[in-house]
Amino acid sequence: MNFRSECRKIKRTGFLPAFIAGGFLAGAVPVLNMLFRSANYIKPDVNPVEVLFMANWQTMALLNILLVLEGACILYHTEYTDNAMQRMRTLPFNESGLFINKFLLVLMMCTILVAIEAAAIGFCCEHWFGGTVIHGAAGYMHICIEILESLGYSLLLVLPAALLSLFIASICKNMWVSLGIGVLCIFTATMLPADNFVLSLFPFAMPFQILAGTAPDTVYNFITACIAEIIIILLAEMLFLKARRSFE
Amino acid sequence: MNIIETSNLTKSYAGFFAVTELCLHIPKGKVYGFLGPNGAGKSTVMKMLLGLTRPTKGSFVIDGKRYPESRIEILKEIGSFIEAPSFYGNLTGKENLEIVQSILGLPASAVDEAMELTGITQYKDRPARKYSLGMKQRLGLASALLGRPPVLILDEPTNGLDPVGIHEIRTLVRSLPQKFDCTVLVSSHLLSEIELMADNIGILNHGHLLFEGTLNELRQMAALRGYPYDNLEDTFLAIINDDNMQRSGIK
Repeated sequence: MNFRSECRKIKRTGFLPAFIAGGFLAGAVPVLNMLFRSANYIKPDVNPVEVLFMANWQTMALLNILLVLEGACILYHTEYTDNAMQRMRTLPFNESGLFINKFLLVLMMCTILVAIEAAAIGFCCEHWFGGTVIHGAAGYMHICIEILESLGYSLLLVLPAALLSLFIASICKNMWVSLGIGVLCIFTATMLPADNFVLSLFPFAMPFQILAGTAPDTVYNFITACIAEIIIILLAEMLFLKARRSFE
Repeated sequence: MNIIETSNLTKSYAGFFAVTELCLHIPKGKVYGFLGPNGAGKSTVMKMLLGLTRPTKGSFVIDGKRYPESRIEILKEIGSFIEAPSFYGNLTGKENLEIVQSILGLPASAVDEAMELTGITQYKDRPARKYSLGMKQRLGLASALLGRPPVLILDEPTNGLDPVGIHEIRTLVRSLPQKFDCTVLVSSHLLSEIELMADNIGILNHGHLLFEGTLNELRQMAALRGYPYDNLEDTFLAIINDDNMQRSGIK
């Protein structure tokens, strides 16, 4: 199974427009917030990136996770709805490759999503903080690096949620079941206290974390936990694929 | 020479035996008709041959490759169509075949050839979801035929086709060993259907293989056992009824 085939399968599913539209929607959050409430945020010696993330990231992250979940459901819905999965399973490739390629596809879309959000935050920094808080080319460069670091961190932390969504979608043949489970997980994550490290490790809660203003030790712990979760979910999917063949 | 051989292939689900110690011998370059009433275990056997379901016991060899050690190698040699057409409804017929073609690493011409063979060329740009049942069936067949695999496993390929379509597919299946030098395992619950396609047949009932051989051998066996043998449909029914009665202890 190759990545190109996986990309072909999403034609006419609404997968691509959903991510693009979702990216613009998430990008609109900081812009609209600043448009109507900029007086609350613009102060002389604040860190613009930290302010923008603190003020908007919870909403943006929620949109991101919902998009990732919806994307995962769409990807497996196309496999199950007309029984295409059965044909795929009779072709000479490892079924785990199908899962990995779907994950790469979601990762690619998340990168596009994050790029749109980076552009929106960059625009907010330039438009509302440029000249007053950010000064000179060095200041802008510093802000750009900070935005990229923050969103890179956010992209990494969304991966366990993406993998878990794909894992759930691969188990449930009915898309509405996987979507329902995913939505329940997301709402559970929103109810978990963000300052509790252990509870924040729930894959759907991790994307709500932000880099700006977080202690380096905590950042390191989240990155380590995130990588561990990615490995665990991948292993769980491999085991599931083996077990399914035995029980079918 | 047998291209497919199973030895004591068994599949059970929580105490229910769908297939019991099945020993099939499918000769190379022949059309092998797999007969049995609904629920006899035909699809289960085919699914086991394709690695879709793991046998509870026993193993099989396809073209010298043993399952499960060479599962991927075996799948490279098989074109299949199981139970119902499997396709991506959001893609056109051609796009569906291109997905399989790219996974199998075949040239683009393989898609056109398969569409031509199964008569779906004029519908190639229509989304598969909008196909009629017969067209979906043809799309499934085209997908199985991609790349001229040496072994074809077809589970009731004429289901849902109109009489003209049935005739076309039957003629196509019949011609495949000569055209593509392949072996075909085709299942049906209709002997009349198999009679017109197959060189060899296997009759399955309640997961047990009741007969395996050529149609002439079936007639001889029927004559020996006192079953009707003028009409093969009657022979088949008599064999199944007799087996059912033995199982229920009525005889």
